Amino acid sequence: MSNGETALQHHHAHHFASADDEFEASKQGMWIFLVTEVLMFGGLFVAYGILRGLYPEMVHEAHKLLAVKMGAINTVVLISSSITMALAVSSTQKGQRSRAIMYLVTTILLASCFLVVKYFEYSAKFHHGLLPGAHFTNGELKDSKSPLFFSLYFMMTGLHMIHVLLGMGVIGWILRRTIRREFGPNFYTPVELVGFYWHFVDLVWIYLFPLLYLVG
Amino acid sequence: MESHSEKQKHHHHHILPVRTTLLIGGTLMFLTFVTVWIAGVDLGRLNFVVAMAVATTKAALVALFFMNLYYDRKENGVIFGTSFVFLAIFFVLTSMDLFFRGKVVVDPKLMEAPQAGSKLKKPWISTPELVAKGKELFSVQCVSCHGVEGQGNGPAAAALNPPPRNFHTDQGWKNGRKVSMIFKTLKEGLPPSAMASYASLPPDDRWALTHYVIALGPTPAPTDTPDDFKRAGVDTTQESGGSEAVVATVPVDFALERVEVAANDAEKSAHLYDPSQAQWVSRGVPQSRGAQIYAESCVQCHNTKAQGGIKILRGTVIVPALTAQSEGMRSQEAFNRWVIQGIPGNLMPGFGQYSSSDLRDLYRTIQTMNAGR
Repeated sequence: MSNGETALQHHHAHHFASADDEFEASKQGMWIFLVTEVLMFGGLFVAYGILRGLYPEMVHEAHKLLAVKMGAINTVVLISSSITMALAVSSTQKGQRSRAIMYLVTTILLASCFLVVKYFEYSAKFHHGLLPGAHFTNGELKDSKSPLFFSLYFMMTGLHMIHVLLGMGVIGWILRRTIRREFGPNFYTPVELVGFYWHFVDLVWIYLFPLLYLVG
Repeated sequence: MESHSEKQKHHHHHILPVRTTLLIGGTLMFLTFVTVWIAGVDLGRLNFVVAMAVATTKAALVALFFMNLYYDRKENGVIFGTSFVFLAIFFVLTSMDLFFRGKVVVDPKLMEAPQAGSKLKKPWISTPELVAKGKELFSVQCVSCHGVEGQGNGPAAAALNPPPRNFHTDQGWKNGRKVSMIFKTLKEGLPPSAMASYASLPPDDRWALTHYVIALGPTPAPTDTPDDFKRAGVDTTQESGGSEAVVATVPVDFALERVEVAANDAEKSAHLYDPSQAQWVSRGVPQSRGAQIYAESCVQCHNTKAQGGIKILRGTVIVPALTAQSEGMRSQEAFNRWVIQGIPGNLMPGFGQYSSSDLRDLYRTIQTMNAGR
């Protein structure tokens, strides 16, 4: 290893003609996985659309209880983490291992920031008795359908938060393998695909933020 | 060939330049700022459109550059794009019913009785008179499901899941057994069970029913807190219980939000609507028994119109037209079954109090109303 940063030689699986084929197949598999993700979140977005169509006044009243500032901060945090993730991928592709490590660590830190903000947001909601269904004890909201909005809020942001947690897990795994010099210009498939996953998490939030916090 | 495959290779392994990454990132930040700022400006419906346009622009930037679709093989873009096509189909088909129905006009006549308000003083306190009146009402309004004795074993009970409440026990009350909560249940019903809203009854009747139902139980009702009354929409600082206690009129309270009330016609208020004659008749003019029953039990949902009535409570409940094609209108037997048992799981309650000659008369009346259309 002349520059000490290049990866170990990657041997593609025997049923692929070349490492390129293997990369393309993996990537396509990732895209198909992301399609299923779109459809999973899609169900919730459709539910949101219907709820909004049925009870526009209720949704409008209820959405005002969400903290726009925290939502906006988290949007900025997630976009920043997408930027660092993209930089981690391109650094790996260029064989800049230590930079890639730094970017991956930053991405995980930003994801943690997101979770901290979410923690404060959720505790405020718990405190105000906005828990879903039977646990809804908030007396301020006039509309008896308001618990529906908060059930959906917790479902959507909760499912998204689970994705953030999983994302942190797989980025951690990528980080570990990067530290072990397993990736480099010759082989970076997992880094790029985990990057896709992370950008997808960002993409979902890009819709969640305005729909829930801004234009309810 | 060589150069082509080289280009292909370059295509698949595009390395996003740092400059581009930062440029896209900066644009995303800027758009976030824009969307928060615009949400603060009141543009009416346009707010939603702008927010979605900005979000979609951001999403496109993320997908095209961070997720490399711009440089990637087209098929990956097609795969990902297809998911949104299916999502759109899902959304459009699901929301058809919601967004493409017209407004509903309800005759002000229907709003009249409940808006009269409570004439009683402090009706949440039980009196022997109220209990007696409640008993009378119970035998008309409730027995079909709850049974003559209120044991939850009326003629229609067998068809209902969950079964109707047995009032002789103090266990298992969904809204609780307090005065305020029973009053609230009568006002709102207990969807999705077959317990319908009885908001069409004047509040005095609902108070009377409340006290009768409590009198049936083995123990006195638990004491209400001021909060309970608030939840039930009762204002205890006013002797009548306040106007909130009488807000809901049409059986489904949330339907009201979507209902337009036609301008009140002063002349009509001195008249009763006779569906069999398809016109307003003076109070006191005798009506056929079928017409009376229709006015008593059916009109709240099925409309006063001669055509037997379609009332679409937009987006929530559809009360079907009683046309000759309706399943319940195909034969006298089917009709009787529907009326006596109601439609379980639906808002159509059972009406067990009518005799078979009543039902024949009612069936004929509705047929006449259909013919008039």
